[in-house]
Amino acid sequence: MKTILANFNKAFESRVRLGIMSVLAVNSSMDFTGLKETLEVTDGNLASHLRALEDAGYIIMEKSFINRKPNTRYTITEAGLDSFNSHLQALEELINKK
Amino acid sequence: MNQSDPHLEDIQAIRKLMEASSRFLSLSGLSGIVAGFLGLAGAVAAQLLITKISAPADWYMRPFAEGPDGYREFLPLVAVMAAVLVLAFSGAIIFSSRKARKSGHRAWTPVTRRMLVSLLIPLGAGGLFILLTAATVPAAVTVASTLIFYGLAVVSAGKFTFGEIHWLGVLEVIAGLVCLALPQYSIIIWAFGFGLLHIGYGLFMHLRYRG
Repeated sequence: MKTILANFNKAFESRVRLGIMSVLAVNSSMDFTGLKETLEVTDGNLASHLRALEDAGYIIMEKSFINRKPNTRYTITEAGLDSFNSHLQALEELINKK
Repeated sequence: MNQSDPHLEDIQAIRKLMEASSRFLSLSGLSGIVAGFLGLAGAVAAQLLITKISAPADWYMRPFAEGPDGYREFLPLVAVMAAVLVLAFSGAIIFSSRKARKSGHRAWTPVTRRMLVSLLIPLGAGGLFILLTAATVPAAVTVASTLIFYGLAVVSAGKFTFGEIHWLGVLEVIAGLVCLALPQYSIIIWAFGFGLLHIGYGLFMHLRYRG
Protein backbone atom coordinates (compact mmCIF):
# COMPACT_ATOMS: atom_id res chain seq x y z
CA MET A 1 0.00 0.00 0.00
CA LYS A 2 2.79 2.41 0.95
CA THR A 3 4.57 2.06 -2.40
CA ILE A 4 1.43 2.78 -4.37
CA LEU A 5 0.62 5.83 -2.32
CA ALA A 6 4.14 7.14 -2.89
CA ASN A 7 3.12 8.04 -6.41
CA PHE A 8 -0.07 9.64 -5.22
CA ASN A 9 0.34 13.30 -5.89
CA LYS A 10 -0.93 15.79 -3.34
CA ALA A 11 -1.12 18.44 -6.04
CA PHE A 12 -3.83 16.48 -7.82
CA GLU A 13 -6.08 15.96 -4.82
CA SER A 14 -8.68 18.34 -6.14
CA ARG A 15 -11.01 17.30 -8.92
CA VAL A 16 -10.52 20.62 -10.68
CA ARG A 17 -6.73 20.19 -10.73
CA LEU A 18 -7.07 16.66 -11.97
CA GLY A 19 -9.43 18.01 -14.63
CA ILE A 20 -7.01 20.72 -15.71
CA MET A 21 -4.20 18.18 -16.03
CA SER A 22 -6.42 15.75 -17.98
CA VAL A 23 -7.38 18.42 -20.47
CA LEU A 24 -3.84 19.76 -20.91
CA ALA A 25 -2.39 16.26 -21.22
CA VAL A 26 -4.28 15.66 -24.48
CA ASN A 27 -4.37 19.22 -25.87
CA SER A 28 -1.14 20.96 -26.86
CA SER A 29 -2.45 24.07 -25.11
CA MET A 30 -5.73 25.64 -24.09
CA ASP A 31 -6.80 29.13 -23.10
CA PHE A 32 -8.52 30.13 -19.89
CA THR A 33 -11.97 30.36 -21.47
CA GLY A 34 -11.58 26.95 -23.10
CA LEU A 35 -10.64 25.36 -19.77
CA LYS A 36 -13.52 27.11 -18.05
CA GLU A 37 -16.01 25.86 -20.67
CA THR A 38 -14.65 22.32 -20.61
CA LEU A 39 -14.48 21.95 -16.84
CA GLU A 40 -17.59 24.02 -16.10
CA VAL A 41 -16.11 25.87 -13.14
CA THR A 42 -16.12 29.49 -12.05
CA ASP A 43 -13.37 31.97 -12.97
CA GLY A 44 -12.08 32.35 -9.42
CA ASN A 45 -12.06 28.64 -8.70
CA LEU A 46 -10.23 27.83 -11.93
CA ALA A 47 -7.72 30.66 -11.49
CA SER A 48 -6.69 29.54 -8.01
CA HIS A 49 -6.17 25.93 -9.09
CA LEU A 50 -4.26 27.03 -12.18
CA ARG A 51 -1.99 29.13 -10.00
CA ALA A 52 -1.32 26.18 -7.69
CA LEU A 53 -0.38 23.95 -10.64
CA GLU A 54 1.77 26.70 -12.09
CA ASP A 55 3.60 27.12 -8.77
CA ALA A 56 4.21 23.37 -8.74
CA GLY A 57 5.84 23.71 -12.17
CA TYR A 58 3.30 21.39 -13.81
CA ILE A 59 1.89 23.90 -16.24
CA ILE A 60 3.07 27.14 -17.79
CA MET A 61 1.04 30.22 -18.49
CA GLU A 62 1.53 32.40 -21.52
CA LYS A 63 -0.14 35.77 -21.89
CA SER A 64 -0.68 37.35 -25.27
CA PHE A 65 -3.10 39.61 -27.08
CA ILE A 66 -5.53 38.47 -29.75
CA ASN A 67 -7.26 41.42 -31.44
CA ARG A 68 -6.13 43.57 -28.49
CA LYS A 69 -7.96 41.30 -26.09
CA PRO A 70 -5.78 39.60 -23.49
CA ASN A 71 -5.54 35.84 -23.97
CA THR A 72 -4.04 33.47 -21.42
CA ARG A 73 -2.96 30.05 -22.63
CA TYR A 74 -1.83 27.12 -20.55
CA THR A 75 0.53 24.34 -21.54
CA ILE A 76 1.53 21.25 -19.60
CA THR A 77 5.24 20.91 -18.75
CA GLU A 78 7.24 17.73 -19.07
CA ALA A 79 7.37 17.46 -15.29
CA GLY A 80 3.62 17.97 -15.21
CA LEU A 81 2.97 15.23 -17.72
CA ASP A 82 5.30 12.83 -15.91
CA SER A 83 3.69 13.34 -12.53
CA PHE A 84 0.20 13.23 -14.00
CA ASN A 85 1.00 9.90 -15.65
CA SER A 86 2.43 8.39 -12.48
CA HIS A 87 -0.58 9.66 -10.58
CA LEU A 88 -2.83 7.94 -13.10
CA GLN A 89 -0.82 4.76 -12.78
CA ALA A 90 -1.10 4.89 -9.00
CA LEU A 91 -4.86 5.36 -9.29
CA GLU A 92 -5.15 2.40 -11.63
CA GLU A 93 -3.00 0.14 -9.45
CA LEU A 94 -5.09 1.05 -6.47
CA ILE A 95 -8.26 0.11 -8.31
CA ASN A 96 -6.82 -3.13 -9.64
CA LYS A 97 -5.64 -4.14 -6.15
CA LYS A 98 -9.21 -3.99 -4.91
CA MET B 1 -14.06 -0.87 -1.49
CA ASN B 2 -14.84 2.38 0.29
CA GLN B 3 -11.25 3.36 -0.36
CA SER B 4 -11.12 2.79 -4.12
CA ASP B 5 -14.55 3.92 -5.24
CA PRO B 6 -13.72 7.63 -5.33
CA HIS B 7 -10.55 6.72 -7.23
CA LEU B 8 -12.54 4.81 -9.79
CA GLU B 9 -14.72 7.89 -10.17
CA ASP B 10 -11.57 9.98 -10.58
CA ILE B 11 -10.33 7.74 -13.36
CA GLN B 12 -13.67 7.80 -15.10
CA ALA B 13 -13.86 11.58 -14.84
CA ILE B 14 -10.32 11.86 -16.24
CA ARG B 15 -11.09 9.59 -19.17
CA LYS B 16 -14.27 11.50 -19.96
CA LEU B 17 -12.49 14.86 -19.80
CA MET B 18 -9.60 13.69 -21.97
CA GLU B 19 -12.04 12.42 -24.57
CA ALA B 20 -14.47 15.35 -24.45
CA SER B 21 -11.73 17.99 -24.51
CA SER B 22 -9.84 16.53 -27.45
CA ARG B 23 -12.64 15.15 -29.61
CA PHE B 24 -15.83 16.55 -31.06
CA LEU B 25 -18.24 13.81 -30.05
CA SER B 26 -21.45 15.39 -31.24
CA LEU B 27 -20.84 14.72 -34.92
CA SER B 28 -24.02 13.07 -36.06
CA GLY B 29 -24.17 10.06 -38.34
CA LEU B 30 -27.48 11.34 -39.72
CA SER B 31 -25.70 14.36 -41.17
CA GLY B 32 -23.47 11.96 -43.12
CA ILE B 33 -26.53 10.27 -44.61
CA VAL B 34 -28.06 13.63 -45.54
CA ALA B 35 -24.75 14.77 -47.07
CA GLY B 36 -24.66 11.56 -49.09
CA PHE B 37 -28.09 12.07 -50.60
CA LEU B 38 -27.25 15.70 -51.34
CA GLY B 39 -24.05 14.47 -53.01
CA LEU B 40 -26.04 12.06 -55.20
CA ALA B 41 -28.48 14.84 -56.14
CA GLY B 42 -25.49 17.08 -56.92
CA ALA B 43 -23.99 14.40 -59.15
CA VAL B 44 -27.23 14.02 -61.10
CA ALA B 45 -27.53 17.81 -61.49
CA ALA B 46 -23.89 18.02 -62.60
CA GLN B 47 -24.40 15.25 -65.16
CA LEU B 48 -27.43 17.10 -66.59
CA LEU B 49 -25.56 20.41 -66.69
CA ILE B 50 -22.50 18.90 -68.34
CA THR B 51 -24.47 17.16 -71.08
CA LYS B 52 -26.37 20.41 -71.65
CA ILE B 53 -23.38 22.78 -71.76
CA SER B 54 -20.75 20.77 -73.55
CA ALA B 55 -22.26 17.86 -75.40
CA PRO B 56 -19.01 16.23 -76.62
CA ALA B 57 -18.28 12.81 -75.23
CA ASP B 58 -14.76 13.82 -74.29
CA TRP B 59 -15.90 16.67 -71.98
CA TYR B 60 -13.66 15.34 -69.22
CA MET B 61 -10.56 15.97 -71.34
CA ARG B 62 -11.33 19.68 -71.73
CA PRO B 63 -11.30 22.29 -68.97
CA PHE B 64 -14.66 23.14 -67.42
CA ALA B 65 -14.09 26.86 -67.95
CA GLU B 66 -12.71 26.62 -71.48
CA GLY B 67 -12.68 29.54 -73.89
CA PRO B 68 -13.58 33.22 -73.47
CA ASP B 69 -17.02 32.43 -72.04
CA GLY B 70 -15.60 29.60 -69.98
CA TYR B 71 -16.16 30.95 -66.50
CA ARG B 72 -19.69 32.08 -67.34
CA GLU B 73 -20.54 28.57 -68.51
CA PHE B 74 -18.78 27.05 -65.52
CA LEU B 75 -20.87 29.16 -63.13
CA PRO B 76 -24.03 26.96 -62.93
CA LEU B 77 -21.88 23.97 -62.01
CA VAL B 78 -20.11 25.97 -59.31
CA ALA B 79 -23.49 27.17 -58.02
CA VAL B 80 -24.83 23.60 -57.78
CA MET B 81 -21.72 22.42 -55.95
CA ALA B 82 -21.80 25.41 -53.58
CA ALA B 83 -25.46 24.66 -52.84
CA VAL B 84 -24.64 21.01 -52.08
CA LEU B 85 -21.78 22.08 -49.80
CA VAL B 86 -23.84 24.69 -47.94
CA LEU B 87 -26.84 22.36 -47.49
CA ALA B 88 -24.68 19.44 -46.34
CA PHE B 89 -22.83 21.71 -43.92
CA SER B 90 -26.11 23.10 -42.55
CA GLY B 91 -27.35 19.53 -42.13
CA ALA B 92 -24.22 18.69 -40.16
CA ILE B 93 -24.72 21.73 -37.93
CA ILE B 94 -28.42 21.00 -37.31
CA PHE B 95 -28.02 17.29 -36.61
CA SER B 96 -24.90 17.73 -34.51
CA SER B 97 -26.38 20.42 -32.30
CA ARG B 98 -29.45 18.22 -31.89
CA LYS B 99 -27.25 15.30 -30.89
CA ALA B 100 -25.31 17.53 -28.48
CA ARG B 101 -28.52 18.78 -26.88
CA LYS B 102 -29.84 15.24 -26.47
CA SER B 103 -26.70 13.96 -24.81
CA GLY B 104 -26.27 17.07 -22.67
CA HIS B 105 -22.96 18.11 -24.24
CA ARG B 106 -22.13 21.50 -25.58
CA ALA B 107 -21.46 21.48 -29.32
CA TRP B 108 -19.48 24.71 -29.46
CA THR B 109 -16.25 23.99 -27.60
CA PRO B 110 -12.56 24.75 -28.15
CA VAL B 111 -12.16 21.39 -29.88
CA THR B 112 -15.05 22.20 -32.23
CA ARG B 113 -13.25 25.37 -33.27
CA ARG B 114 -10.01 23.47 -33.74
CA MET B 115 -11.76 20.83 -35.82
CA LEU B 116 -13.34 23.46 -38.05
CA VAL B 117 -10.02 25.22 -38.62
CA SER B 118 -8.34 21.97 -39.61
CA LEU B 119 -11.26 21.19 -41.92
CA LEU B 120 -11.39 24.61 -43.54
CA ILE B 121 -7.70 25.01 -44.36
CA PRO B 122 -7.50 22.13 -46.89
CA LEU B 123 -11.08 22.78 -48.02
CA GLY B 124 -10.47 26.49 -48.65
CA ALA B 125 -7.19 25.78 -50.43
CA GLY B 126 -8.97 23.18 -52.57
CA GLY B 127 -11.78 25.57 -53.46
CA LEU B 128 -9.34 28.25 -54.57
CA PHE B 129 -7.24 25.70 -56.45
CA ILE B 130 -10.29 24.50 -58.36
CA LEU B 131 -11.47 28.01 -59.25
CA LEU B 132 -7.99 29.08 -60.34
CA THR B 133 -7.31 26.00 -62.50
CA ALA B 134 -10.81 25.45 -63.95
CA ALA B 135 -9.83 27.16 -67.19
CA THR B 136 -6.61 25.26 -67.74
CA VAL B 137 -6.85 21.69 -66.44
CA PRO B 138 -9.07 18.90 -67.87
CA ALA B 139 -12.49 18.64 -66.25
CA ALA B 140 -11.66 15.21 -64.85
CA VAL B 141 -8.75 16.73 -62.91
CA THR B 142 -11.11 19.36 -61.45
CA VAL B 143 -13.54 16.60 -60.41
CA ALA B 144 -10.67 14.58 -58.93
CA SER B 145 -9.40 17.61 -56.99
CA THR B 146 -12.75 18.09 -55.25
CA LEU B 147 -12.48 14.51 -53.95
CA ILE B 148 -8.79 14.73 -53.05
CA PHE B 149 -8.96 18.08 -51.23
CA TYR B 150 -12.17 17.09 -49.45
CA GLY B 151 -10.61 13.79 -48.39
CA LEU B 152 -7.54 15.56 -47.03
CA ALA B 153 -9.78 18.02 -45.17
CA VAL B 154 -11.65 15.10 -43.61
CA VAL B 155 -8.42 13.37 -42.59
CA SER B 156 -7.16 16.59 -41.04
CA ALA B 157 -10.40 17.31 -39.16
CA GLY B 158 -10.72 13.64 -38.23
CA LYS B 159 -8.00 14.02 -35.59
CA PHE B 160 -10.53 15.97 -33.55
CA THR B 161 -13.52 13.67 -33.80
CA PHE B 162 -14.38 9.96 -34.08
CA GLY B 163 -11.45 7.90 -35.35
CA GLU B 164 -13.58 6.21 -38.02
CA ILE B 165 -13.88 9.41 -40.02
CA HIS B 166 -10.17 9.15 -40.83
CA TRP B 167 -11.01 6.24 -43.13
CA LEU B 168 -13.77 8.19 -44.83
CA GLY B 169 -11.14 10.80 -45.71
CA VAL B 170 -8.68 8.20 -46.96
CA LEU B 171 -11.35 6.61 -49.16
CA GLU B 172 -12.28 10.02 -50.60
CA VAL B 173 -8.65 10.65 -51.53
CA ILE B 174 -8.43 7.20 -53.13
CA ALA B 175 -11.64 7.92 -55.08
CA GLY B 176 -10.04 11.14 -56.33
CA LEU B 177 -6.93 9.31 -57.49
CA VAL B 178 -9.03 6.64 -59.22
CA CYS B 179 -10.88 9.48 -60.94
CA LEU B 180 -7.56 10.65 -62.41
CA ALA B 181 -6.87 7.15 -63.70
CA LEU B 182 -10.37 6.61 -65.14
CA PRO B 183 -11.41 10.12 -66.23
CA GLN B 184 -14.31 8.88 -68.35
CA TYR B 185 -16.05 7.71 -65.17
CA SER B 186 -15.50 11.01 -63.29
CA ILE B 187 -19.16 11.66 -62.50
CA ILE B 188 -19.82 8.12 -61.33
CA ILE B 189 -16.74 8.14 -59.12
CA TRP B 190 -17.75 11.54 -57.79
CA ALA B 191 -21.24 10.21 -56.99
CA PHE B 192 -19.63 7.24 -55.26
CA GLY B 193 -17.28 9.48 -53.24
CA PHE B 194 -19.68 12.19 -52.16
CA GLY B 195 -22.86 10.08 -52.23
CA LEU B 196 -22.39 6.43 -51.37
CA LEU B 197 -19.34 6.82 -49.12
CA HIS B 198 -21.16 9.42 -47.01
CA ILE B 199 -24.33 7.36 -46.79
CA GLY B 200 -22.35 4.26 -45.82
CA TYR B 201 -20.30 6.17 -43.28
CA GLY B 202 -23.38 7.93 -41.88
CA LEU B 203 -25.31 4.67 -41.48
CA PHE B 204 -22.35 3.00 -39.81
CA MET B 205 -21.87 5.86 -37.34
CA HIS B 206 -25.57 6.20 -36.69
CA LEU B 207 -25.93 2.54 -35.82
CA ARG B 208 -22.72 2.42 -33.85
CA TYR B 209 -23.11 5.58 -31.77
CA ARG B 210 -26.88 5.97 -31.97
CA GLY B 211 -27.08 9.51 -33.25
